[in-house]
Amino acid sequence: MTRRTFWGFTIPSVIIMLVLMVVPLVTTIWLSFNELFLRDINNPTWIGFDNYREVLGDEEFWAAVRFTLLFVAVTVPINMIFGLGVALLLDKVGRGRSIYLAALLLPFIVTPVVGTLIYKDLFDRGGLLAWLWEVATDEPFLITSGNVKWLIIVQAIWHVMPFAMITFFAGLQTLPEDRVEAASIDGAGYWRQLWHVTLPHLRVLILFVALISIMDAYRVYDSVFVFAGDRFTDAHTLQVYTVEVAVDPQIGRVGKGNAIGVLNVIGIFVVLIPFLVISYRDQIRERT
Amino acid sequence: MNEQTLRSRIGVHGTLLILVVWSVVPFLWAFQTSIKFTRDVASKTPVLWGYETTASAYNSFWMKDDDIQMWNVAAYIAVIAAVAAFFGWSGRRLENGRAFFFAAAGVIALGLWQFPNIWRAEDEYDFLINSIIVTVLTMLISLSIGLLAGYGLARYTGISGAVILIIALGFRALPRSAFVLPYFFGATRIDQWLEDRGIAEWDFPLIDVPFIDEFGVLDSKIAIVMALVAVNQPFTIWMFRSFFMDVPKEIEEAAMMDGATRIQAFRKVIIPIMWPAIIATGLFTLLLAYNEYLFVRVLAPTEWTLPVAIVSLTGGESSRTITEGAAASVSITLPIVIVIILFQKHLVKGLGAGAVKG
Repeated sequence: MTRRTFWGFTIPSVIIMLVLMVVPLVTTIWLSFNELFLRDINNPTWIGFDNYREVLGDEEFWAAVRFTLLFVAVTVPINMIFGLGVALLLDKVGRGRSIYLAALLLPFIVTPVVGTLIYKDLFDRGGLLAWLWEVATDEPFLITSGNVKWLIIVQAIWHVMPFAMITFFAGLQTLPEDRVEAASIDGAGYWRQLWHVTLPHLRVLILFVALISIMDAYRVYDSVFVFAGDRFTDAHTLQVYTVEVAVDPQIGRVGKGNAIGVLNVIGIFVVLIPFLVISYRDQIRERT
Repeated sequence: MNEQTLRSRIGVHGTLLILVVWSVVPFLWAFQTSIKFTRDVASKTPVLWGYETTASAYNSFWMKDDDIQMWNVAAYIAVIAAVAAFFGWSGRRLENGRAFFFAAAGVIALGLWQFPNIWRAEDEYDFLINSIIVTVLTMLISLSIGLLAGYGLARYTGISGAVILIIALGFRALPRSAFVLPYFFGATRIDQWLEDRGIAEWDFPLIDVPFIDEFGVLDSKIAIVMALVAVNQPFTIWMFRSFFMDVPKEIEEAAMMDGATRIQAFRKVIIPIMWPAIIATGLFTLLLAYNEYLFVRVLAPTEWTLPVAIVSLTGGESSRTITEGAAASVSITLPIVIVIILFQKHLVKGLGAGAVKG
């Protein structure tokens, strides 16, 4: 394909990404050096690094950083191991597979805010799990600032695990039969086969799911917003904190919000740069 | 069958059943809350069976008038769904059945359009329509430009292709909060500009949609759609690119030998074999657009879509009852569940093919 045809095909997409991703990103960086209120959004004033100084000295910011890191560190590995386990189980099932698959996919496809609302209903007063808790311990179950973080994490596992599951399951469908047969002829048991044949086959996928899960867990917003709301501010993740700072109609501080946004971007890129470098090298190798 | 395989089979199915319970319990709970009377929901020990059922929560969430025969509404929806399903099914069975898909879409559109003329609907009905418009437009725009770019990126071997792909991958990682504030800032700036020049008051006869009274970006569906198209673009081009990598070059080269231009070869030869990829990528786009909360909340102060509507209407301050919240949750979930069950196979295939090399 010639260069001209290539640009002919890609230009609409590239323009969209330039106008709606590169330009906003530059705007974010510029706005982060300004004092700017939501109610008076047309009058930014340049204040240099003041927003950053304020954010870095803000205890709420560090609380959000801590919870976000905890959230990523707990949910990502559990989702992946759990998802792989379920995918392996599903792969053993012959009949009824698509029914299991549909049921297990439900939490993943439901609108995140709705998924959180119905999950929260189980723990609210009169909810099924709150009632079971009361029967078991003789004490009413209350959502408190102590347990809300763990409820958010459990809900996130419920919501995101199917993604890992379905991706690994799809990968298992492409496992070549002859390799499995060769392994079993060699007398390898299930676990050795898993370790020496199946997992190496899924290697690229495992990396892919890890990457996507880290990205998505890092920027979780919907479920935390619904679960914690204004009531449990110390269970805010970075995204929720950013939005709360910026879009309150009365005191929304867009400049400060953008400063946190820039810090968010720097944070994820620190994790991401090795992945990006590896993918870039892959791409170049493919081309030569 | 020997005893050992039987035992392991029972183990597998047993574990999966437990997992299914863990997955669907919140949905079942929401469903049975939505059909209960408020007194049963409020009771201290949950009433798990033997309760009286009612559709009044659905009635008061969706309709202005109380005491509507909800069976009539259900029958209306069922007839529309059945006719649309018949057209869709025929379209799949027939050789040149594309017209039938349009007919199915037309039937659904007609049903949605006529609904408020039969029953007086609450504002939530407008939010449902907003959701559908946003989802369909996002899918159309996102998939068409993504398809072109994915094809270009799969066939071109220059360095600029690699650079675009890596930058797109980086954008995939960026949090919404880095975009939503500049979008809001830009949208207010454009609206200010339009107002200063009096363009906001203009009448555009061709695009004069009844529910836009002032021409502007903020609170318009197009702002949400473009925002969603942009954040979805990295994923779309990566997905399509890996699907196109699987299509042998020889296919379009043969067509081009016969005198077709590249565009013709792309349209007549490549697109027809790409349908599974388009459906798989389309499903993910549909989920993204239908489920979006943050962009809509910030960019559309009044023209909500369903997720924002449901959070605002069932949140702490509102007077809505818990049964109405559950009815809303069930109503918003059902359409997407049906779509996913219908296309589940494509979802699995799409992830398998697209992601393995991604």
